[in-house]
Parts: sequence; C-alpha cells; structure tokens
Amino acid sequence: MTLKGLPKRQRLVGVWLLLSGVSLLGGALFAAWLDSQLALSGMARWVLWLGSLSGGITLFSIGLLLERMLFTPLRHLQAQLARWVANPDAPDDHTAEGWLTGLGPDLRRVSHRWRADRARLTTAHAEGARSASRIRQELETLLQVLETPLLLCDRHRRVMLFNQAAETFFAGNTGLGLGKRLDALLPTATLAHAITQLPDDGSPREMLAPCGQRWLKVVVRRVPGSEHETLVTCTDTTTTWNNEMGVRAALNRMLPPLRQHAANLSSAADALRQLPCSQTSPALRTRFEHVMHDESQALNQRVAEIGTLLDDLQYHGERLRPIWSNDFWQSLDERLDPAQRLITPIGVPAWFKGDAPALIELFASLVEHLRCHLPASGFEGEMTLHPKRAYVDLIWRGVAVPESELSVWRESPLTTLPLSPTVADILRQHATDIWSVTDTDKRHAKLRLPLPVIAQTQAPREMAPPRPEFHDFGIAQLPAPDDTLANRALRSLEIVAFDTETTGLELRRGDTVISLGACRIVNGRLLANDAFDHFVDPKRTIPAASTVIHGITDADVAGAQPLNIVLGLFRDYVGDAVMLAHNAAFDMLAISGHGVHFDMPVLDTLLLSKALDEALDGHDLDTLAKRYDLRFPPNTRHTALGDARVTAELWLALLPRLEARGIDTLDALLALQANAFDKEDASAP
Amino acid sequence: MANVLVVDDEPNILLSLEFLMSQAGLTVTTAADGETALRKIAEAAPDLLLLDISLPGISGFEVLEQLRRDESERHLPVIMLTAHGREVEREKGFALGADDYVTKPFSTQQLVEKVKALLVERAT
Repeated sequence: MTLKGLPKRQRLVGVWLLLSGVSLLGGALFAAWLDSQLALSGMARWVLWLGSLSGGITLFSIGLLLERMLFTPLRHLQAQLARWVANPDAPDDHTAEGWLTGLGPDLRRVSHRWRADRARLTTAHAEGARSASRIRQELETLLQVLETPLLLCDRHRRVMLFNQAAETFFAGNTGLGLGKRLDALLPTATLAHAITQLPDDGSPREMLAPCGQRWLKVVVRRVPGSEHETLVTCTDTTTTWNNEMGVRAALNRMLPPLRQHAANLSSAADALRQLPCSQTSPALRTRFEHVMHDESQALNQRVAEIGTLLDDLQYHGERLRPIWSNDFWQSLDERLDPAQRLITPIGVPAWFKGDAPALIELFASLVEHLRCHLPASGFEGEMTLHPKRAYVDLIWRGVAVPESELSVWRESPLTTLPLSPTVADILRQHATDIWSVTDTDKRHAKLRLPLPVIAQTQAPREMAPPRPEFHDFGIAQLPAPDDTLANRALRSLEIVAFDTETTGLELRRGDTVISLGACRIVNGRLLANDAFDHFVDPKRTIPAASTVIHGITDADVAGAQPLNIVLGLFRDYVGDAVMLAHNAAFDMLAISGHGVHFDMPVLDTLLLSKALDEALDGHDLDTLAKRYDLRFPPNTRHTALGDARVTAELWLALLPRLEARGIDTLDALLALQANAFDKEDASAP
Repeated sequence: MANVLVVDDEPNILLSLEFLMSQAGLTVTTAADGETALRKIAEAAPDLLLLDISLPGISGFEVLEQLRRDESERHLPVIMLTAHGREVEREKGFALGADDYVTKPFSTQQLVEKVKALLVERAT
C-alpha cells in the first residue's frame, strides 16, 4: 500500500505523527550531543533536554489538540450535514463539540427552523392536494373495478398508468410496468406505427397483435388535449379467432361435400327403386348398390368429423373460462351454506374450464339432491386430471346414486340462473354428462363431471393489495428513451436495484447465487409493488454457515429454476434500466458468465458513498442505513429483495447530495464513481 | 347359434340390424325400449346385448346399470350404440360397465365384426 493510496485523513495523521516523531528524535539526538560536549549537570542539564525536545512535543500536542477539538467535531458536523441533506426529518441530531461548541445553538436554531418550514410546506401541500387526491382515488377505484385491461402511455409509448385488469391480463409478462415501453409488452411494429399516426380527436384505431400464445384486439386512441398520450385497451380474441378460423371454417368447408354425398346417395336410392325388377342388366343394379355403399361410408365419415368439431366448438366456447378448483369448491361452499363448511377439497388443485356461475348452481342443485338422497352430510371435492379432461368429483361415504335417480335430477330447473335452465341444459352447454360410481374401496362413491382441461398449471396469483404507485404521470416528463443516456438527469433515470444471496463469498471457487432480488426506481420513486424475487437452484448444498446469514436452506431452493433461466427473466425485468447494487463488483461477478449479458451502466452505492464522504469511516450497508436513518421492515435485511430495497433507498438518500455537488447527469456520476474505484483499487493490497 | 338382443327405438335400424345379423349367422331378438329389453333379457338370456342409449322410458345407461347390479346378468356382454357420439358419453358407458361402444352412423360390417369378436372372446 502506498501513502498516496491512503485516504486523505489518514495521510494527514501519518504526516503529523511522522513530523512529531522526527522532531522528537532529532531533538533527543541533539540534546545527547550537547550533553556530551558540555557535560552539564543539575538544572542546566534539564533545561538543555527540555529545550531540545520542545519542538517535537509542541508539534505532537498541537496536532492532538487540533484533532480532538477541531477535526473530529468537523467530521461529526460533516456527517450531520449529510444526514440533514439526505433526511431532514431524521431525529437524533449530533451536538456540536470541541471548539465548535459555540456553533451548537445556531445549528440547532437553523435545523429547527428548517424543519418547521418543511412542516408548514408539507401541511400546505397536503391541503392543496387533498381535493386532487380525492379525485384521484375515485379514478383509481373506477379503474380498478374496470374489467377491461387499460394502459395509458406517454408520447414515447412509456406506460404511465395501468389498471388491475391489465395486471391480471398480462400476469407473468415482465414487459408490463410503470415507465416501461409498450413495445416491450406488445412488440408489434404496426402498433408502434399506428400510435404515431393516431388522429388527435380521440377516434380509435383497432388492430390485432400477438402476445405469447394469444391474439389480442388492441384499441388505441389519442387522449384529446393531452401531450400525445395514448389510451390502449386490449381484448383476448384468441377464442373467437380460433372459432372463426378453426372450427367454424372447418364446418363451412365440410358442408359442400356433405351435400354432395347426400345427393349421390339419394339419387342412387331413387334410381335403384325405379329400376324394374325384370331389368335384364344386373350389372347396373350392382353399380347402384356400390354407389350407395360408398356414399353411405363417406357420409358416416363426414358426420363423425362434424361430431368431433362440434365437441371442440363447445369446449372452446367463450363462456367457458378457466377456473381454479380450490376457488370453485370455496364458492360452492359459500353458495350452499356460508355458516359451515360442507365440502372439503382434497387432492392436487388444478385448472379446468367452465361457466363458473352455471356450474356452481348445477353443483348446488346436485348437492341438495344428494343430501336428500343420502345420510351423508359432508362431502369431499376432488379434481382429477386426465390428458383431455378434468374430472370434478364430489365424493361421499356410501353407495353410488342410480342412473334412474340422476335422470330425474337432470331435469331439475336451476331457477337462480337466467331463463331457469335445467341441469341437463348446463351439462349440454359444457358438452358433458354426470354419472355416479362406487369407488374401488367400496366404501366411498362419487358423482363425476368431466370438463375441459386447460394447459395452465400454476396456482392463481394472490390478489395484490391496492398498488400505491397505480400511476405515475411524471413519466411523461422524462426524456425520450433514445436520448443519450450519458446526459440524462440522475432523477429521470430508470434504475433497477438488485442484490444476490450466495452459497458463500468465494465466487471464483464454486460459490454461486441462491437468490436474486430486485426493485425498480422510476422518476425518483421506488415502486413498492414492482419487484423481482426468485430463488435459484445452486445445484449444490448450501453451507450451514451461509444459511446463518441469509436464512435460506436447501428446502427453500428445492424446485427453483437454475441460474441461467432466472438470469434470463432478470434480464427481461431490467429492460433498458441502469443497474444499481451495493458493492456491485461482487453481485456483477455473481451474475456474469452464465450466458446472459448485462451491458448497461452499473452504479455502486458503496463507491458513491466513499466518493462523497472520503473522510468518514464505515460504508457498509448497515452503517449507511443507520447514517441516513433508512427504515425497513424487520427480517428483510439479508434477503436479496430486502437488501435491494435498502440499496434503492440509499440511492435516493445520496441523490440530493450528489445533485448539491453539481453531479446531476449519469455521465458525471459515472466519472465520480470511476474515480472512487481507482482510489479503492490503488489502496488494495 | 349365438343369440343377440338388439335394443333401439328406431324401427329402420332394427330392421337392417336384424337382417344383417341373421345373414352373419346370429339369432336376433329385438326390443324398442328399456323395459321390454330387461324383460326379454330375463326371459331369453341372450348371449350379447346391442343397446342404444336414447330409449323411451328408462335409458340405455339405466338398463346397463341394472344389468351390472344383477348378479345373474352382470357378465352379459354389452355394446352401446349412440347417436350423440360425445367422448364423455363413451367414457360414461365404460364407467358404468359397457364392453364396447359404437357411434352412429356406423359401418354395419364393422358392427357385425365387433359382435362376433366379443362373442368369441367371452366363449373362450
């Protein structure tokens, strides 16, 4: 380590101690020489030694006095000022010490007045915003209950608002998020082009856009009077499109040959009937008989094909929607008797397709019949998957219901449904039937209803709490995404703060990522509900020593996806954002070399904190969180997402201090960070 | 000579099936509804039942269910006939104990072959 590589304060202390030491040593040598030359004794000898050492002693004493009375109080004052700038309302002010004690009352007065002014401003702001807030809440409520997925984009096609229907509609699509480009969600050139050509009067334009396995009808319109903002609504037309282009088109194609075969058959039958019995040419009769045989075979074939198509048509009907079995049993239970639990769901929950309100009424009717028919009062509900169908089974202890009884139940009207259809009508709507059989254990029996199965396997997402950042109209003020990043104002940057938890610290010797968490800052706001949080299968055992730190066990990561898959998802999540981490070198090393490239700028709060407060000790996340009075929920530290959020909060605390020093563009910030990195590098052993 | 009971409420198909089965060397009895079918099964003890699902009165499924509950008739081979042709009905037929299932319209030749094959299978 070189002297130049040391921090400024340590260099000064070093120089001071060196000068004091040299002075004391020089004085001692000089005194010893004089003592030997003059051979003094008594008081004169004491005066000689004291005089020779006085320079060094004075230098050391003045340095010590300055450190205690001036430099240390100045450093504390510097930390206090940093704290005030980052978090003006943080309690526990440091009192002025040493020779700065006199500044104490003035500093307290300044801070108190500043806080009082801030409080007055906050009150005024709150009062002024109250009515706007009420309108906004009404708007949010309206949008949240709206079933149509809706997005509002600014002139650069960045999403400024989306409702919960849109969140549900695009569930699992990482392209949806405040500040993200619409192109990431619906990557269709024609849509981008259509938006640029929209008329200002708000008249809509419709188009079809692919989105994963779906075809969406997208309606876009310019918001009149806005700064080229666009309202986007989406409808899933896959079923309609499939029906139009698939089953219905096939039925239409089949009709002409069906007519043809029927005509051939009836003509041949007529001809055969009119052929006189005395006809001397049996060959002609045989030909007609062959024609009838061939045509009836062809008709059989066509009718069978039409039957299959009709089944498909009914299975893919638009009224049949995906239903999660647990939700179905719960709704049925509530419909039957809200006060007590009558049906216990068993087995593995699964998705099936059906008209939920109709099926609930159908099952309610069947359960009522069963309760009259059987001594059993409780039932089990089970969903069994078959490659083509899902079986919805209602199970009870006892014997099967005879088909003759079910025939009567099928004719029961369901009076709570429009037009009071019968059970049989609802079964017909679902192209299915019910039957009852005794289980192989001979003790249980079931009522079975087959329904169309769907490919979806994951449990439905839990309903998210109302999102605090439901919209962000400030996004429209951000520069265009194709502006040079370097000149972007720091506050306008979209930033993804991330953190990794690993099996250990030796990344180059086999340690790897077990958890990756990230959150997003848009327009200087940390989005509370926009998070990336994934466990990673490390394909090795997690050492107990590392579990002690982050609490992640082998059981937690069992079944998780491997790192390359999670990194692919993370790359999608990052999008065009700038990345941010605390001690980014470690985290970047952890996610590099797995085939996913992160070529965007990376910010490091560790380096930035060192650059801002070179003289202060302690730049770890815990110390900085304490210094800037950052608050976070208990038990969230040392989780990947928890630390990512603390890092994001730390960035937001550093931001005003960076701006106060004129560092307000990404370019300037990266230069400051690079400088801090060089110093760090130079001081490394 | 094996005795086959054909149960269907369509006289046209009964006529054809009766003729074709007898051409194939089988003795054919017919019934036009479920009650008659059950009575004829008890009286004539057929070797195989061709049973349509949609019958006036008790349905083909009910006839099948009653046969499978009856200890003396539970092993009678049954081929179900249906004009609906839904796969779910086919599954239901098998769940209630049918041995085979034929959807209308069908090839009479294939039906006769199925009947013969099932009779041979049961005989062995």
